[in-house]
Amino acid sequence: MLRILVLIGFTYLFMHLHASGNISKYINMKYSYISESAIYIFIFFTLICIFFYIKRDNPHDHALCGPDCGHNHDNEDNTWWKRSFTFFVLILPITTGLFLPTATLDSNIVAKKGLFFSAYKEGDAYSQHQFLQPDTTSYYGKNDYSELMDKGVKKLQKQKTITLGENNLLNDLETLYNYPGQFIDKQVTITGFAYKEKEMNQNQIFLLRFGIIHCIADSGVYGMLLDLPKDVQTKNDEWLQVSGNLETIYYQPFKKTIPVLKVTSWKKVAEPKDPYAYRSY
Amino acid sequence: MTTQTLLQMNTIFISIVIEALPFILMGVIISGIIQIFVSDEMIAKFIPKNTFLSILLASFLGSIIPACECGIVPITRRLILKGVPLPAAIAFMMTGPIINPIVLFSTFLAFGNSWSMVFYRGGLALIVSMIVGFVLKLAIKEPPLKNNHHKPVHYHSIKERISAMLEHSINEFFSVSKYLVIGSLLAAIVQTYVKTSTLVTIGNGPVSSHLVMMGLSYVLSLCSQADAFVAASFRSSFSTSSLLAFLVFGPMLDIKNTFMLLSTFKSKFVLLLCTIITITVLAVTLVF
Repeated sequence: MLRILVLIGFTYLFMHLHASGNISKYINMKYSYISESAIYIFIFFTLICIFFYIKRDNPHDHALCGPDCGHNHDNEDNTWWKRSFTFFVLILPITTGLFLPTATLDSNIVAKKGLFFSAYKEGDAYSQHQFLQPDTTSYYGKNDYSELMDKGVKKLQKQKTITLGENNLLNDLETLYNYPGQFIDKQVTITGFAYKEKEMNQNQIFLLRFGIIHCIADSGVYGMLLDLPKDVQTKNDEWLQVSGNLETIYYQPFKKTIPVLKVTSWKKVAEPKDPYAYRSY
Repeated sequence: MTTQTLLQMNTIFISIVIEALPFILMGVIISGIIQIFVSDEMIAKFIPKNTFLSILLASFLGSIIPACECGIVPITRRLILKGVPLPAAIAFMMTGPIINPIVLFSTFLAFGNSWSMVFYRGGLALIVSMIVGFVLKLAIKEPPLKNNHHKPVHYHSIKERISAMLEHSINEFFSVSKYLVIGSLLAAIVQTYVKTSTLVTIGNGPVSSHLVMMGLSYVLSLCSQADAFVAASFRSSFSTSSLLAFLVFGPMLDIKNTFMLLSTFKSKFVLLLCTIITITVLAVTLVF
């Protein structure tokens, strides 16, 4: 009986998340078909469980069930407290998932996870080239990696202003971080939440967004260092949309050269409906 | 502030559960199919007597069964009950989540479309599972399963078979998923309350950086299809070999998967297995 309840609970949880669209706050929608198919399996399992339950109550059927009938009699949950423990453990994600509001990851989690940008290493042959000769795309056309990156670089260089939104943030940022020299003075618009660390300069903040690969457990923060005009004051977790020109800076805490955006225009915005950025292949 | 953190923890917890449950469902269904439709005699004929060959075969078998590290535990249990030798079954469990087309492809993408990481990851996983398999063969004499009374049964009709298969699948779902829930909860707590960023700053020496990356992959409990992207973000601060430690160790062992193992194996065996895997991965990636 309890099993049927748990199965109905899981079915309902998955259906509810899909119907309300909240599922995008948990997983990358690219993989939503996986959890969608889980709904059907859960419905199926629930029906089967109900069927077994009714069948088991039928004394006639039970008499037929001899020791070699192949039914699983070695259920490990043989005491009532073990059964209720299993029930409470399984019911926990169902209740908290349905009744507690979905939280958005913010600067608090950034402080726990730390900032990691996949920037190139100092002294890397590729990056050195770019600094000395900004336009050397032909130099690294042979290697697989640079071929793909070249495509990314060319795509971005064609654009007059690069707008980093939830769909292209992860991929395009990677390009910008790998080839910052190619994009100096480029106009960039980016939306994200403000994050400031103690050791940062007065007018510098990070504008970040959580990027999701599969589910938010594997999310990381992605974003850009901003050089704000003197008069701008921001608080952590405040959402901003800024535009400016790209430059590079040697950022001491990372011991790396990273892109920095010299902000020319900025405005406060409300937290977007979809606060996360998703990785697209 | 604190309620917000609690809600964030819950959100991460739910997200891990939601991500893993479909794979568990798939795992228990495959396990049910094996239980009913694959006989012990078929397994005995199929698996080579030679330990080396049986591990090799089992490792590649893992690549055609699409199961992540949680879904694969019930399948492994079923295979052991069906008479698959322990080294081969454990090798299947360890390499299945790594040497599998989806995981290798995501590794290829995460490291900027390069094949070298894919080969290193797959190759090292195979080497580790070989070593662990042979050590287990020498060290383990009695079956390590918790519930190992298994009697071959015979079914008369196809209807009976399917009904028994479904019952097995559902029973297994309930015995395994509670461990998934506990494991996910712990992983979510670690992600929200433990400052993993300080962990990363410790790892500078050769041994310590490997240990840090392995510890990180253990506590983060990422799905093996996503972990390559996370590893790639550490590319600039960690050596390739320590990233490989992360990529090989994580799918074999992590918080939620340890709990899944506890659902199936005796705790003494789980402890031994964890120790052997940890030492082997560390040694193999350090030599690399």
